[in-house]
Parts: sequence; C-alpha cells; structure tokens
Amino acid sequence: MGRTSIKNKLILSFLALLLIVMVVISVINWVAPDFLLSQAISTALALAAGIVFGGIFSKSLVNRLNSLSDAAREVSHGDLSREIPLLSRDEVRDLEEIFAKMVDDLRSMISEMKNVSIQIQQTNRSLLDFVKKIVKRGEEIDQLTKSIAKGSEEQTLIVQKTAISLDNGLNQMDEMVKQSSETVSKANEARLQAEIGENKASQTVKHLEEVLKQMSEHTQPMFRLANKVEKIKKVINIMDDIAQKTDLLSLNASIEATRAGEMGKGFALVADEIRSMAENSKRSSQDIKTMVEDILEDNKTATIALTKTQEGINRGRETIRSILNTFSDTLTDVKDISSAIKEVEEVTGKQVIQMRTLSGHFQELSQLADKNFISTQKTTVATKNQIDDIVRIAKAMRSLTALSEKMMLTQQRFKLSAARQPASEAALD
Amino acid sequence: MELFIFNSAEEYLGIDANYVYRVVEEIKITPVPMAPPYYLGLIYYRGELFEVVDIVGLLGSGKAKLKGNPRIILLKWSDKKLAVIPDRISGLLWIEDKKGQDTIFTEGNHSVRLITPEHIWKRLLELPYGPTKISEDF
Repeated sequence: MGRTSIKNKLILSFLALLLIVMVVISVINWVAPDFLLSQAISTALALAAGIVFGGIFSKSLVNRLNSLSDAAREVSHGDLSREIPLLSRDEVRDLEEIFAKMVDDLRSMISEMKNVSIQIQQTNRSLLDFVKKIVKRGEEIDQLTKSIAKGSEEQTLIVQKTAISLDNGLNQMDEMVKQSSETVSKANEARLQAEIGENKASQTVKHLEEVLKQMSEHTQPMFRLANKVEKIKKVINIMDDIAQKTDLLSLNASIEATRAGEMGKGFALVADEIRSMAENSKRSSQDIKTMVEDILEDNKTATIALTKTQEGINRGRETIRSILNTFSDTLTDVKDISSAIKEVEEVTGKQVIQMRTLSGHFQELSQLADKNFISTQKTTVATKNQIDDIVRIAKAMRSLTALSEKMMLTQQRFKLSAARQPASEAALD
Repeated sequence: MELFIFNSAEEYLGIDANYVYRVVEEIKITPVPMAPPYYLGLIYYRGELFEVVDIVGLLGSGKAKLKGNPRIILLKWSDKKLAVIPDRISGLLWIEDKKGQDTIFTEGNHSVRLITPEHIWKRLLELPYGPTKISEDF
C-alpha cells in the first residue's frame, strides 16, 4: 500500500475543499441574487470549511501524536510491553514505525543486556573463584619462591664456601706440586748420592779385597813362622828330652859310681859334670822353650789379631757388600719413588687444571646462584605484585558484579512482554 | 857317706845312695787290689818286681803329689825291692857322718830328713790290709 505524505494529503484535501467551496460558491452565486451577499456567503462558507477542515485535520494529527507520546511516556517509564499502533500512512506512520522499531530494539537490547549481565555475573563468579584459586596459587608460588630464594641464598653460600675450599685445595695442591717438584729434585740428588755411595762402596770393596789379599799374603809368613816355631818347639822338646835322659843317665851313673866306691870316684865326677851339663842344657832348653812359647804366644796373639782383623775386614766387606746391595736397592727404590713422584706430580697437575676448571664452574655456578637469588627475589616481588593486581582485578570484578547487579536492577525497571522474557533471567531468578 | 836327696810333699828326704838301684821313668805302675794305703802298686823293671809306696804318706808327713810321668827311685838291698816316687830329685850329696833314721840336718837353705829302706819296709809291713783307693793319677 502506497504512502501519502501529510503535505500531499494536505494539498489534496485543500484542493478537494477548494473544489467543494467553489462548487458551493458557484451554487450560491447561481442562487443568490446579490453579488456581495453571495460573496460574503461564499467567504463565510470558505472560512467555515477551512476552519472545520483544519480542525479535523489537526485533531487527527494531534491524536496520533498524543497516542505516540503516550507510548513514549510509557516506554520512558520502562514499560516496553506496549505495542505501538500503526494507524496512518504518512510521515507519522514513519515516526510510529521508527518508534515501534526503537521500542522493539530497546526491548531486544535490554533483553540482550539482561542476558549479558547475567552472563557477566556468572563469568564474574567463575572468575572470582578462579581469581581466588590464582591468589591461593600465587601465595603458594610466593612461598615456594621464598623457599627457592632461601635455597638459592644457601646455595650461593655453599657454592662460595665450596669455591673457597676449592681455592684452598688448589693452593694446597699447588704447594703439593711444588713440594713434589722439590721431592723429585731431592730424589734425583738422593739418586746421585746413592750412585756416588754405590761407586764408593764398590771402590771400598775393591780396596778391602786388596787389603784382604795383602793381609793373606802378609799373614802367610806369620803362619809359616808359627809352623817353624812349632818345629823349634819340637826340637827343643827333643833337646829337653835328651837333657832329661842325660840327667837321668848321669844320675844313674853317679849312683853306679857311688856303688863302685873309690874306683868310681872319677866316674862320679864325670857323671856329675854330665848331669850339670844336662841340667844347664835343660835350663837352656827351658829358657828357649819359654822364649819359643812366648814367641808362639805372641805369634798366636798376632795371628788371632790378624785373623780377627781378617774376619773384621771380611765382615766389613760383607757389610759393605750389604751396603752396596742396599745402595743398589735404594737406588732402585729412589728411581721408583722418583718416577712415582713424577707420576703423582703429573696427576696432581692434571687435577689442579681440572680443579681450576671446576673452580671456574663453581664461580659461574655462584654467579648463576646469585642471579637465581636475584631472579627469585624479583619473582617474589612480581608474584606479590601479581597477587596485588589479581586482588585489584578481583576488586574490579566485584565492582563489575556490583555494576551488573545494578544494571540488572535498572533493567528490572523495564517491563518486557512475556515472550521477550529471557531464559537466563528465569534461570537467574 | 853318699846321700841320695829328693823332694816329696815339700819335704827334702835323704837316703843312703848304696840302696838306690836305679832311677827310672816312664814305667807303668800296676795297681794291686786289696793292698794297704800308701801301697801304690807294682812295677816291673828288668825282670824284677818293685813295690811302689807313697813315701811321704807312709812316713806320716803328708801325701805325695803324684802327677804326670814322674821319675821313680828304685831301692834294692838284700832281697828287698822298693820303689818310691819323689816330686823332684835333687841329686847326690856327700856327708861325713853316718846318721840314722829320721836324722835331720841342714843342707843349704833346706832341712833334709834321713830315711832308711828298712824303716820304710817295716812301716809298710805294719800297714793293715784292706781295700784302698788307688790314686786317680795312676
């Protein structure tokens, strides 16, 4: 159905009214004899027709506008349930349609707003629970971060102490390496001394061998002398025996001469002389025997002394040979010790390098622990800030909830049609 | 008279040289069982047996110190034969007077006691028979 504007309607109505007036005036003019009268009657009729027409037209327009105004007033009071009547087909009809559409949109919007408010409230509730959990976890994180910070601090201290211990160990190992070097040099000196000692002991053994050989050569005459003196002793014993026999013979000759009486006196004298000679011979042989025994005794003493000296030299030689063996063993041991100390020195050097690397790692670890400590401190601060932010978020959400509740209360002021009542509102109610 | 002087147990004894038959040595003394004390045994010399006595012990002036291979003085008179063992033989000594048993005279720095073989024999016969200990030196 086509639309007609008020202007066109007003022009058409005016033209129709003018046509009617002109017809009426024509009639009047045809009827009325007086022109002026007819003119006056025509003007009066035209005025009356214009007033009636204007009144009817304005009343129609005002009624429709009043109706729309009433509807707007009800809408302004929150009653959106009223349906806007669409009576005309002119510009007011556009206004009515726009108004109806506005009311309908407002209704939809409020309904949507209600849904959104409900959803906001539900979301806020979920978010609040979530925020509470986040706050709780944030507090746990804060506690854990504090524990980590404390652990990091302790770790830093331990690492620093370990680094100091490692430094001390390194110093000690440096000292040990130095001492090992000194020990190696001393072991080398000891080896040289042992070699010199071994050479000297070898020379001493050679000298002793020569001394023993010479002593053996020099002792032989002593032993030969002893043998010869023994032979002299035997001869002297024979002489003594002969002297004894002579003495005995002369004694018996004297006895026989005595028994012979005067005849044997001369023989007795001879026998006495022989006996005297035998006794002299016996004494001489005794003296010689004594001297020979003295010589033998001295020779025996000298021989014993020489034998003891020889034994002593032999023992000395054996001792020096033992010393030589000891020197040889010592030399071997010193060489072994020297090589072992060198190995120890090398190993210690490697250990020092490894410990230096380890110390560097410990330094890095210490720095990392420091950084870790600082990071944990920052994390603690950040966690605290986060908790504060979350608390602020929670406050904002509470404010939002309050606002949404307030909005709900405001929305409740609007009366919607039952069909437009949202399901979520029903659920919320 | 000619005296045969010998020393036994630190005592100088003298005996008439006519009784001395021989001075010997290196002769084995054979012990006699059941013999009286101071009877040392028998020796065999040139077909004759001589009875060996400890003269010092027998005469009661000590005991002979027998050791080694001593010289043995063989005494022989009439049909009796004795052997005595001195410590040392001094030799023959001439004295003017004839003296009897146990006469003591001084010769040099020593006192010499005279003994007779008969006296020795008599003392030997006076000894009681019985077991006696043979000196270990023999």
